[in-house]
Amino acid sequence: MPDRRVAVTGVGIICAAGLNTKEAWNSLQRGIPAIGPITSVDTSTLRFHNAAEVRGYDPGAHFPGSQQDHLDRFAQFAVIAAREAVADSGVTLTPELCERTAVVLGTGTGGQSTQDAGFEDLYLHRRGRVHPLIIPRAMVNAGASQVCMEFGATGPAFAISTACSSSNHAIGLAFQMVRRGDAELAFTGGSEAPFGLGLLKAWEAMRVMAPDTCRPFCKDRRGMVLGEGGAVLILEPLEAAQARGAKVYAEIAGFGMSSDAHHVTQPTVAGPARAMRSALKDGNLAPAQFGYVNAHGTGTPGNDPTETRAIHEVFGPHAKRLAVSSTKSMHGHALGAAGAIESVATIMALKDGILPPTANFTEADPECDLDYIPNQPRIARVEYALSNSFAFGGLNAVLAFRASH
Amino acid sequence: MSDTIAENVIATLASVKRIPAESIKLDTPLQELGIDSLDTFTLLFELESKFNISIPDDDARNIRTVNDIVEGIRKLVTANNSGSSTPSAAPAD
Repeated sequence: MPDRRVAVTGVGIICAAGLNTKEAWNSLQRGIPAIGPITSVDTSTLRFHNAAEVRGYDPGAHFPGSQQDHLDRFAQFAVIAAREAVADSGVTLTPELCERTAVVLGTGTGGQSTQDAGFEDLYLHRRGRVHPLIIPRAMVNAGASQVCMEFGATGPAFAISTACSSSNHAIGLAFQMVRRGDAELAFTGGSEAPFGLGLLKAWEAMRVMAPDTCRPFCKDRRGMVLGEGGAVLILEPLEAAQARGAKVYAEIAGFGMSSDAHHVTQPTVAGPARAMRSALKDGNLAPAQFGYVNAHGTGTPGNDPTETRAIHEVFGPHAKRLAVSSTKSMHGHALGAAGAIESVATIMALKDGILPPTANFTEADPECDLDYIPNQPRIARVEYALSNSFAFGGLNAVLAFRASH
Repeated sequence: MSDTIAENVIATLASVKRIPAESIKLDTPLQELGIDSLDTFTLLFELESKFNISIPDDDARNIRTVNDIVEGIRKLVTANNSGSSTPSAAPAD
């Protein structure tokens, strides 16, 4: 079977910027940061106090009765985003289609808060037993499994965990499966809910957390700010989507992966550059066709100049004509959900012709010399865009999107 | 006092990196000792416990030599001893 074109026909999201696509995109396209004081964890013993938490979320409104207790917060986010995405796509999940439906979701730490609570019972409170649902709540595939059960999706399904690249790897693999005919529909993206004292302490010890806010590519940036949430895309063969008269947000045009094989936390230029180049090659695309890059842009001293150099390497003289932004400045770094949330931002940017800015922008680091769309959105019709994710451990995953207009 | 701090830092560094203490001099760049960011995080973590201090992230980023660590710790220890509230325990905003 020749390769099929792959369309995004539905999107769903829940993150600090909003509880659904409309809310989140409305906020992101205006450059409004959703970063504020952490409320879900007592931060008195922490050196940082700000994050991008999902606010105003009531699990009971989404999961009646005891169902909310069966899902960790990260799995709840996956299901909520999947519900919105499938409703948005308008697709009818017939029994035949369900058997050919894939679910591929990313998460970095899965049900870490559930684990934490169990450890607290065991080691702190010296209880002789723990809650019986720790395993089904905490396992990293809980989100994927819950989405499968919710929609009766019985095709290929699995979770991917590659730290901050999890969602991009997930979307990339789902894209490949739909492209080559292994699935007729895919739920893909990812979710993360990292707000527990244990994990926040672990991030603090890594000395990469900003005490104030996230200022990617700026001279006075002081690190990253954690975020949480989930986002899901519905992928279908473009032909099938057009045949049923579906709206097409964008196409996935290419996917590239690489490993730095260098250092567990220090990034390289070569690794990310190879992943970007590989995404272009996969889609048979030239640098000059691109107008926007949704950067990994964590705001750490290490990432931003390195990513900038990698973009220069891949795009050559065209790099200076690219618009590049890091939406992490608004929704925070949602780790295993980052790629999914940023894919939604990229897709909406292509669809609406509005490029989201890098918020909190002050003055560019001299080592960061690209057009980062500082603070104000940019009205621009762009045909192709990249979305970058580079993980601790040196694992890189890059998606290329094509506008449908 | 500074000697004690220096000796302690060198001993901790030797233990973290598993190298002989004699190979470490105050003006040795950490890079020359093969100390990468992971070793630095571990070293600072050990020193924070030993001296009962908290080393701010911004200071940690500027460490280049063994002496940078010794001087940084001396400042924090002096601040602790003079009874002022630990300057680094507050959020560095």
